[in-house]
Amino acid sequence: MTLYKGVRLTAGAFFLLAALTGCATMVPQTMDLRDAWPAGVPDRVELGDVPFFPQQDYQCGPAALATTLVYSGVKVTPDDLVSQVYLPARQGSLQVEMLAAPRRYGIVSYAIAPRLDDLLREVAAGNPVIVLQDNGIGPLSKWHYAVVAGFDYPAGELLLRSGETLRLAIPFTILEYTWKKGRYWAMVTLPPDRIPATATESGYLEAILAMARVGNAGAVTMAYRTFLNRWPDNVTASVALANKHYEWGAIKEAEAVLRQAAARHPDSVLVLNNLAQTVSDQGRNDEALAIIERALRTESLFTASARETRELILQRRAKGG
Amino acid sequence: MKISIRNVLCRVLVVAMMMLPFQTGQASMIGTDQATSAASTQADRNTVINLLSRAETARELQSLGLDPKTAADRLAAMTDDEVRSLAGKINAVPAGADGLVLLILVVFFIWYFAFRR
Repeated sequence: MTLYKGVRLTAGAFFLLAALTGCATMVPQTMDLRDAWPAGVPDRVELGDVPFFPQQDYQCGPAALATTLVYSGVKVTPDDLVSQVYLPARQGSLQVEMLAAPRRYGIVSYAIAPRLDDLLREVAAGNPVIVLQDNGIGPLSKWHYAVVAGFDYPAGELLLRSGETLRLAIPFTILEYTWKKGRYWAMVTLPPDRIPATATESGYLEAILAMARVGNAGAVTMAYRTFLNRWPDNVTASVALANKHYEWGAIKEAEAVLRQAAARHPDSVLVLNNLAQTVSDQGRNDEALAIIERALRTESLFTASARETRELILQRRAKGG
Repeated sequence: MKISIRNVLCRVLVVAMMMLPFQTGQASMIGTDQATSAASTQADRNTVINLLSRAETARELQSLGLDPKTAADRLAAMTDDEVRSLAGKINAVPAGADGLVLLILVVFFIWYFAFRR
């Protein structure tokens, strides 16, 4: 009886709140969708191949992550991920760790922009999206990760892999209401040969740089190559890829990448300095000297480093190396 | 407690000071971190701040039930920005767990009182 009363009271309060604030302010992005559906996105999409791992206890983080990682081609189970994203004392998983864990598998994790439009675009492009929802009421937070694997706009529903439900259909309004409190946080995980549909140049480069910290050589190289195919003018990506090759001892590959970058950016002190270094490391100091002289024609933040490189090349040349 | 924090701080600063000269004096290849951060003095300062944040976050992760090795491994996969976003506020950021009971209530109410689309 008391439970029933409580429910009625909550319902009443909820209704009043909805009436006072107006639905438009409660779910602004859903409202905007009515006027402007994102261009090129079909109104019905369902990624049926997205796997499902029913969550155990409080482990929706590992379950959600395993869902998108397996879909990205990684052999992993939620149990494997518990030790990487689950925090015992918090009985849950932090957003930062959800982003960090996929990197070990050579997968690029990308936090998408906090927009329903972007979420729909990613799903339409075949990328299931992990969302952080607050399923609590008022000040009582109940944080939860679920995976959006489709939507059916004519029916007004999004299709989620959530908790113990394989195909949870919830209205757009509910998703937005629960998603809004976590500031519309959402992420995708993609294999290194693909780029998220909504990725920005700077945002995605950061995502790859982050993966390169712990990812394996093949995945890191592939990610940079894919990035440079899309954004060939990005100096940082070229230098980062070359530095990785250099770090792994593949000096010829590093030189090739830097040469391509130097062809596009003939005045980049950064590129020329590193190119001169790799050429000098291969014993071609005359050639290296010519390159570093070119670098010193332009003033930049890296001019001091370029002078050091020149010194080094001169020393090596004097030794007859 | 105070002493342990000071201990950690000292250890980290020692490591930081050992690392700084190496970073600038090493081979002439300009590193990716240098290439992405604007001014080098700023980069040096960030290096110290980042080391401190990492030490602090490692301690916090351990206090939340991770063993030192796991905490270090998990930190290694985070960027400096990510670590800084956690340092000191690991208990304040959301930790996704579950909450389906309440979800059903919320679903019901919005469904009932609002609209489907």
